[in-house]
Parts: sequence; C-alpha cells; structure tokens
Amino acid sequence: MKIGFIGLGDMGQSMARHLMQAGHDLAVWARREASAEALRGEGATWCASPAELAARSEVVISMVTASADVEALVLRDDGLLAGFAAGAVHVDMSTIAPGTARQLAARYAERGVGWLDAPVSGGPAGAREATLAIMVGGDAAILEKVRPVLEVLGRRIVHIGAAGAGQVAKACNQMIMVAAIEASAEAMSLAAANGVDVAKVRAALLGGSAGSRVLEVMGERMVSRDFDKGVDARLHHKDFAILMAEAHALGAPLPVAAVVWQQLNALMARGGARQDTAALLTVLEAMRTA
Amino acid sequence: MNIGFIGLGLMGRPMALNLRKAGFAVNVWARREASLAPLRAAGAVAHGSIAEVAAASDVVFSCVPDAPQVAEVAQAVADGARAGLVYADMSTIAPAAAREIASRLKARGVVMLDAPVSGGEVGAIAGTLTIMVGGEQAAFDTVLPAFEAMGKSITRVGEAGAGQVAKACNQILTGVGVAAVAEALNFARKSAVDPARVREALLGGFAGSRILENHGQRMLERNFKPGFKAWMHQKDMGIVMDEAHRLGLALPAAAVSAQLFNALVGSGMGEDDSVAMLKLFETMSGGAA
Repeated sequence: MKIGFIGLGDMGQSMARHLMQAGHDLAVWARREASAEALRGEGATWCASPAELAARSEVVISMVTASADVEALVLRDDGLLAGFAAGAVHVDMSTIAPGTARQLAARYAERGVGWLDAPVSGGPAGAREATLAIMVGGDAAILEKVRPVLEVLGRRIVHIGAAGAGQVAKACNQMIMVAAIEASAEAMSLAAANGVDVAKVRAALLGGSAGSRVLEVMGERMVSRDFDKGVDARLHHKDFAILMAEAHALGAPLPVAAVVWQQLNALMARGGARQDTAALLTVLEAMRTA
Repeated sequence: MNIGFIGLGLMGRPMALNLRKAGFAVNVWARREASLAPLRAAGAVAHGSIAEVAAASDVVFSCVPDAPQVAEVAQAVADGARAGLVYADMSTIAPAAAREIASRLKARGVVMLDAPVSGGEVGAIAGTLTIMVGGEQAAFDTVLPAFEAMGKSITRVGEAGAGQVAKACNQILTGVGVAAVAEALNFARKSAVDPARVREALLGGFAGSRILENHGQRMLERNFKPGFKAWMHQKDMGIVMDEAHRLGLALPAAAVSAQLFNALVGSGMGEDDSVAMLKLFETMSGGAA
C-alpha cells in the first residue's frame, strides 16, 4: 500500500520503519528535513509538503504532539486536505482533543476523505517492538480497510466508536496511568518516610492485588531514581489539559485526576518537563522538606 | 463624563442604573429591547450599535459572559472611539486574554482597563461591588469617579491583566471557601449537632468569614436561588485552572473545588447558586437525612 508518514519523533521513527519492513511503499514529510534522513537512506520517498504526501498516498499516518499541530498539518495551504484524493484515509495516531478529532473528521467527510483517530498506548518501547495498544475512533468500514496497516504497528486494535471516540479512550488511559504513577510515588514516599526499603516494598507488591505495569516499570525508575529515560512528563501534562477541559465541558467531576494534574503542574515548575513521569516522586519529596 | 455601557444582564443592568443615579450621562446598546427599557426609563440614551455608543462616550464599560464577547465589544468600541477613550471591561476573563485585547486596543489608540468585580447581584444593586483594576494609572484616575458609583472597594492592582489575576485569586478563595463551609455545615448536621449554632459560634473565631456568614446562612435556609450561579463559578474555576496549567503551578485545593463545580453543573444544578454545593455533598453521602 502507498503510505505517507508524518511525525518522525521517538515513536514515529520506529513505526515508519516497521511499515517499510512490512513491504509498504513509504513516503515521508517532516518540518525538519534532517529528521527524515535515516528513513530516506532505507528507501523512503521524500515529499516537499503534506499536500504532496497526501496526493501520492492511499493512507497517511501522523504522529505529532498537539491538537494545534494536527490541525495545521491538515488545514494549512499546502496541508493534507489540499492534497488528498477522495477515498484516501488520514489515520492520526497523536494524542489530541476529541473535539479536534471530530472537527477534522467532518472537514474530511465533505471531500470524501476518510479519518480515523487512532491514539496509542505503549510508549517508545511499544513502538519499537510493534506491540502498541491502538484505540480507534471513526467509521468501522474505514478501519477494516486500514486494519492490516495498523496490525504492523500494534497488537491490540480496538474500535471504540465514531470519530473522537479513540481520543476519549486515550484520555481515559492517561487518567488511569498517571494516577497510578502518582499512587506508586506516594507508596514509595510512605515507605521511605518509614525508613523501609522501597525496592523490597515494590517487589512484594508486584505479586499482589496492587501489582501493575506502572508499579513495575515506573516503580523501578523510582527505586533506581532513574528519571531520564521513558516518556517526557510534559507530554502527560499536555494530555491532562485535554482531559480536564473535557471534564469541564461535560460537567464531569474528576477529583483524583484534578489533584494528579496539580502534581504534574508542580513537576513542570520544578524543571521536570523532560524527565520521566516517575519523577512525580520528587514533587512529594519536595513537599516533605519544604 | 459621558459613559457607555454594554452588557445589561444580571450584573450590568444595576451597575448602569447606578451610574445614572450618580448623575452620569449613560449611553447604551443591547440586542434585546427588553434589556434597554429599564435604562431608557432611567434617562439613558439607546444607540443603534456599540460603535455609536463609543462615539458618544468618554468611557465605555462592558459586562459580558466571556473572552470572545469581550473581544467582540472591544473591536466595536475601537471602531467608534474618539481619541483618548478608555474602555473598562468588568467581565471575568482569563488574564492572558485581557492582556492580549488591551494590547490590540492600544495599537488603535484606545486605553483598556480590566476591572472585574466581586459581590454578586446584591453588590451590583447596592453599588457596593469590589472592583479589581489592571491597567494604566492615568486611565484608572479618569474612570475612578464612575467606579465609585458602582463599587465600594476599588483597587488598582497593577498593569493590564492584573485585575483579572486578582479576580482569579478571589475565585480560588470563594470556590474553596464555599466548599469548606458546605462540608463543615454538613459535618455538623451528620454529627447531629445544630449547624446554625456551629455557624454562630465559628463566626466569632478564626474560621469566621464573609462566606461562612452569607453563604453559610443561605445553606442553613436551603436558599439556593442565585446570587452567583454555579455554572459561572465553574467557568471562572476553569480560567483559574487553565492559568495554573500554563504557568506550571500546583493549585491542589482549587483543583478539587473545580471538580465539585463540574459535578454541580453535571448534575443539573448549574442554575442554582454556588451554595448548592451543600446539596451535592448530601447526595454524595447518601442524601439529606
């Protein structure tokens, strides 16, 4: 299949490479041409604009940072919308606001272009190992058409509902995950305050009802105080603005998420934007020594 | 001084009437004739557009729901403004939005003050509002006599946006405060102690506050009529939390309070006064018993 890919960051690089290795005809565009160098060396075609990329592709996948980035990518003068032929599909795998996803889906529908919001969970490791969880919003028939492409990237692909529903699922994912990171950090903090070995507490808990993927992965980073690898906390911070705005718009109370959001705000203020979110532990430590 | 007033709602109407009462010439515009009638009756002059109001005024006030409406009014004021006109917006909007609109107006020769208020409809009618002002000192001095017709405590907090920052601080205190008072009174009642007596006793000590006095009394009377509607408080808490996110600033107590306002709106109590927080807490713990 002729596939276009935009967003060659940490995750996007791995995903694009998997698609080529699966035999797809891949083209790329990037804001910084240099970020596409490696993939071009491996045979990817370079396009001069998103429109040009859209014009030669049956499916374009984007993996960028924020709602505004995706919006610009689609709607700018030489954007995807200007280039797509009817029948083509844009699969946006970024984490953005459900409202933005719904708006873009409607704009595309006017031109007969398909849209899926297909955000992922699993981080850079999941992208590298092609084990991402992919939650999809949009037309089921369009998903069936591009399912073989998504199967190259992830293991669990779930159709959630209409356009925007994938982003709603992702918001729920972020809420649960970061709250679990905060809970893990608080447990570590309580253990440490008692002078108990935090590594042993983590190891013990992993076998029981409180055991979780977060306690395993982020808990390990807390124990070893290694906050430099993993996912930038600033990305979770950004996601929380999206989900708390949804809660506000819908009149849905999210008391735990709201407090977690404030701990993320504090982490940003402490210069932790590019640390792993496990560094939420350091916010608790600062609160104790203040 | 010739005054213009845009936004003749729950708050704006009594504020404009107080300006008339103080002897100012007042120019108004409104979409609906019904909004204009009481002002006309008080001797205000109705115009066909906001730009016409601006052309007839030295100072234009506005009191509208949110930033997009302020931007719209600001644009129309600038279209009709004479040189030296001061535009004083008394709505509650994000500080960043206030700064941006002020700088846009400055480029068109109009000086803007952000002058949000506290005190609710009661304060607007009585002319006892607290007015928190951001913007240039000279413009503040010009407008002060008109502010004095609407409010009692009038403070220039700082430059453009500073009034809205003060209002955000006000909403943190009242948002958290109304929740705390509702929790305390609900706690007393559930403990089979007379909440009215608890309120009475507490008013004399360090927990005494305007909110315990006013909002507490209305909770005891189960009077949930606005006042200040819960959905408006929710909107204001949204502004506060957006600012906190932008600044990278933890507001843990305000964050929980904002969620309680979400719950009020989500459970259909948005048109009630914020004191309906009491009903929310009762429902959360199994009803009013």
